Amino acid sequence: MTRLAPGSFAWLARHELRLAWRGRRRGGKRQALALVLLGLYLAAGIAVAYLLMGVPIDYRAEIGIGILAASVVALSFMTTQAILGSQQTLYESRDLDLLLTAPIEGRVVLLAKLAGIAGAIALTYAGLLLPVVVPVAILGHPHLLGVVALLVALALTAAAIGIAVTLTLASIAGPRAARTVGQVAAAVLGGALFLFSQLSHGGQGRRSSFAVIFEDLRAWGWGENGWSGVPGHAAFGDPVSLAILLTIGVALFAGTGAVLQRLFLSGYQDAGMRLSRARPTGKASARLFHAGLFRPVLAKEWRLLARDPGLVFQVILRLVYLIPLMLVAFRGSGGLIAPGLAFASVLVATQLTGSFAWLAVSGEDVPELIAVAPVHKQRVDQAKLAAALLMAAPIAALLPIAIATVGRSPLGALISLIATAIGGTIAGYIELKLAKPGQRSAFAKRRGGSAIAGILGMIVAAIFGGGAAAIVYFIG
Amino acid sequence: MTEALRIRGLAKAFDKPVISGLDLDIAAGQLYALLGPNGAGKTTTLRMVTGLTRPDAGSIEIFGVDALADPIAAKAITAWLPDEPMLYDKLSPLEYLAFVAGLWRMEPHVASEEAERLLHWLDLWEQRDTRCEGFSRGMKQKVALAGALIHDPKLLILDEPLTGLDAAMARAVKDALREQVDRGKTVIVTTHILEVAERMADRIGIIGGGKLLAEGTLDELRDRAGTEGMTLEDTFIRLTSGA
Repeated sequence: MTRLAPGSFAWLARHELRLAWRGRRRGGKRQALALVLLGLYLAAGIAVAYLLMGVPIDYRAEIGIGILAASVVALSFMTTQAILGSQQTLYESRDLDLLLTAPIEGRVVLLAKLAGIAGAIALTYAGLLLPVVVPVAILGHPHLLGVVALLVALALTAAAIGIAVTLTLASIAGPRAARTVGQVAAAVLGGALFLFSQLSHGGQGRRSSFAVIFEDLRAWGWGENGWSGVPGHAAFGDPVSLAILLTIGVALFAGTGAVLQRLFLSGYQDAGMRLSRARPTGKASARLFHAGLFRPVLAKEWRLLARDPGLVFQVILRLVYLIPLMLVAFRGSGGLIAPGLAFASVLVATQLTGSFAWLAVSGEDVPELIAVAPVHKQRVDQAKLAAALLMAAPIAALLPIAIATVGRSPLGALISLIATAIGGTIAGYIELKLAKPGQRSAFAKRRGGSAIAGILGMIVAAIFGGGAAAIVYFIG
Repeated sequence: MTEALRIRGLAKAFDKPVISGLDLDIAAGQLYALLGPNGAGKTTTLRMVTGLTRPDAGSIEIFGVDALADPIAAKAITAWLPDEPMLYDKLSPLEYLAFVAGLWRMEPHVASEEAERLLHWLDLWEQRDTRCEGFSRGMKQKVALAGALIHDPKLLILDEPLTGLDAAMARAVKDALREQVDRGKTVIVTTHILEVAERMADRIGIIGGGKLLAEGTLDELRDRAGTEGMTLEDTFIRLTSGA
C-alpha cells in the first residue's frame, strides 16, 4: 500500500473517507441484511447487463432530459446532505479541536473535510447506481462508465456548495442562526423539487406532473445540445462533457478550500463561543414552577421543541409531503371537499402526534433523570403523550374547522374531529409503545428504529381517515 | 445508628460478573467515599442503588425502604448525580430546576424559593435564564448539582463529581457536599482523587473484583493494610493490589 505523507491533504482525506465509510457500516444482522440486499441488487444489475448485451444504448434527447432531471434532483438532495454534513463538521464534530491544534494548514483541513463530505455523498449514491451501471458498462457498454464520473462531479459540487452555504450563513448571521437556517434550507431543498412538481401542475387532470414537465422540456429542445445536454452526454462518456463537469466540480472543490479557508477557521472558532444564548425569559421565576407532573412535562416539551426551529421545520415538512396523498384523497372524493378534508385531518393528526410523541418519549435527551425520579415511567409517558396531543391540536383542528366552514358540514366536522382525536391518540400511543430511543437530532431517521411503528401509524390513519371520510360522504 | 443504605448479596453480571455478593452498610449523616480501581464496579453498584440498573440478585434498602420492591419511595428520598451531568441544553437552569421539581412533585412555591436559594448559593443566579448549551463543564455540573439538591434528598449519590472541574469549582462542590452532611444528609461519592476522599470522607469503602475489599475510617483502613502514617493512596494500592 502506498504510504501517504502524514499531515498531507491525501493523508487527511483518506482519514476522512475512512470515517465516512465506517459511518455507513452497521453491526450484526443489519450489516448482514444490507450485504444480502446489495448482493441481490448486484445480481439484478448483472442480469440487466446480460439482457442489454448487444442492445444498442444510444443517446437521445429524452434520455438527456431524464439524466438532466435526475442530476438536478440528485444535486439538490446531495446539497442537503452536504449542508447537514458541514453543520456536523462545524458544530457537532469534536475532531476539529484535534485537527486545528495540529501543525497542519487550515486549508488542508478544510479540503480534507470537504473530501469526507463528498465521499459520504458519493457513497450514498454509488450504492444505488453502481451495482447496475458497472455491470452494464462492463458487458458491452463501456461508455456508460461516464455515470461514475458524473456522480463524482455532482458530489464534489454539492460538497462545495454545502460548506459554502454553511460558512456564509455563519459569517452573516452567526453560528447559531447558520445552524438553524441551514437545517431549514436543507429541508426546503430536499422538498422543494418534490413540492414544485406537485403544485406547479396541479390543474391538469390525472396526468402525472412529471410527465407534464418532461413534455414541456422536450418541446423547448432541452437535453439535445447546449448546457442542458451536458449531464446526459457526460453520463454517456462524452469526453468534452465529462471534462466540463469534472472541471467545474474540482474547481469548486479547490476554490472553496482556497477562498473560504478564513471563514472556515473563524466559523469554527466562533461556534464554540457563541452558541449559547443569554436572552432572558422575562418571566418571574415563580411562574416557571407548577404543581403536579403534567404541566412541568408539557412546559419542558414545548420549550425544547420551540427552541429547535430545524426540528419544527422537519415536522412541518412531513405534513408537506402528505400533500400528494391529500390531492389523491380530494380526487377520490369526486370533488366533494368535506370527505377529502376529513381524511386529511386524520392523516395530519396521526403524523403530528406520532412525531411529537416520538420526540417527547423516544427523543428524551436525559432518560436517566426520568428514570431516577420518583414517578412511574407510565405516568411520565402519559403526560408526554398528552403534551404531544396538545402540541398537535392547534394544527389538527384546522381541517375539521374547514369542514364546518368551507365544506358546510358541522356534523361532518364533529365526526372528523372525533376521528382525528382518536386516530391521533392511537398514533401517539403506538410511538410510546413501539418506537426505539434515539436522539432528537436524528428525528428524520427515526423510522430506522421501528418500521413497525411507522406501518401501524399509517394503518391507523387509513382506518380512521377512511372511516371518517366515508361517514362524512354518506351524511352529505 | 440509622442506616442510609444497606446492601446485601448484590450481584450483577454483564458479559462477566461485575458485582458478586456485595454487602455494604452506610450510616446516615456521613460522607462516604466509595473507591476502587477502574472497572471495579463502583458505578454499577450506584446505578443499581438508584434504580437505573436492575441487579441479578441481592437487596437494597435506602433508609429502610426496599429500593427493589418500592422504587418510587426510594427514589423520592434519593438524588443521583452522574459524572456526565443530566441536563437539557436548551433549557435554562431555572427551567431545568422547574422540571426537576415537577418530577419530584414539589410544591411550586417551595420549589421556586429553593431554586432561587440554590442558584444564588452556587453562583448561578446571573445565568439563571441562559440556556445551558454554552456552559462550561463546571457550570453544567453545578446546575446538575442544584437539580439533585432542589428536592432536599436524604441520600445524595455522586459519581466522580469533581472530574474536570477547576480548583474554585471543585472547592464549591466540596463545600456543598460538606454542608449537606452538616445538615444531616448522607452523601456517597465515588472518586479517583484519593486526596479528596482522604480529606472529606467520614468513612471509605474500597471495592475490587466485585466485592467490598475493605471499609472503615482512614485510620481503620491503615491499620488493616499495615500502612500506619502513610497516605490513603498507599493504603489503597496495598488493599487493591491483590484484588
